[in-house]
Amino acid sequence: MGLRDRIQKVEAEISSASMADIAFLLIIFFMVTAVFSATKGLDFKLPSDDEQQSTEEQEAIFFKVLEDGTFLMDKRPATLDEIRDYVVPKLERWPDKPIIIYARPEAPYEALVGIYDELVKLAKPPENGGYGLLTKPPNISIPTQSEINEYVALFGVNPFEQD
Amino acid sequence: MRLKKVQALKAYIPTASMADIAFLLIIFFMVTTKFDVDRTRVPLPKSSFREEVPKGSAYVVIHREEGGYIYKFSNGEDPSQPLPDMTALAAQVNALAQVDPTKPYIIKADKGTPYRMIDETLETLRRAGVETVIMLTEQKTVEDQG
Repeated sequence: MGLRDRIQKVEAEISSASMADIAFLLIIFFMVTAVFSATKGLDFKLPSDDEQQSTEEQEAIFFKVLEDGTFLMDKRPATLDEIRDYVVPKLERWPDKPIIIYARPEAPYEALVGIYDELVKLAKPPENGGYGLLTKPPNISIPTQSEINEYVALFGVNPFEQD
Repeated sequence: MRLKKVQALKAYIPTASMADIAFLLIIFFMVTTKFDVDRTRVPLPKSSFREEVPKGSAYVVIHREEGGYIYKFSNGEDPSQPLPDMTALAAQVNALAQVDPTKPYIIKADKGTPYRMIDETLETLRRAGVETVIMLTEQKTVEDQG
């Protein structure tokens, strides 16, 4: 029949003209919501109650952080640059030598982190940003206020505030 | 002399591959985007050695506001919430420690925070049996070292 020949075939298609618009909208969304935040830090192991060790102060390398952010290294004022040269020869002779970092209650957190960072770096390889000078990580201990209070209750003095 | 007719070429930018590039970028952002549980802006202390923090770590945030220092806590999945005091923080930490005792904790503290507040936080975490703590830091640069 003649009628059938006149029906025009409509081609099926999915319109993709707006696809790029949608795609770029999504890109902008992810770019805006992406957070480039600090996700790195210094690892620190807390001692459990059953493995607390007592550290003899006279045998240890002793850091005392003061309120103004400065610190004493074995009772002498020091800077971060001096830590490496002072600590490495001592730890080479005695790798297990304890290092005590005592911060006064009002000392800024930043100062303690600075010292801790410098000590951790001693045993880390240069490709990881360390100095690679020691084979064994230093034995760092940070006494808590409750430990100090226990000592004060027993002996009547704060061992870290005696000159 | 008879001059040849110059045929004008139509200038156009091919856009056929634009959608491919766009989808590639979408996939990149979808894979790399992290929805942080804590987005508090805190001036962190700087260190030259830094380790990547484990995914899903719990957060203890100490940041300075006009009225003083404020604690915030996140269990690593939900957004961080402000806490009224250290007792509330201890309750949160103890509750989480019972569910997941091996959970690592991130301390995200203002660099000027008095050490006694960090000390109290560490003591609270230690009492709850937490073993791994990461002190969140920013990268120390050559300029910082002076």
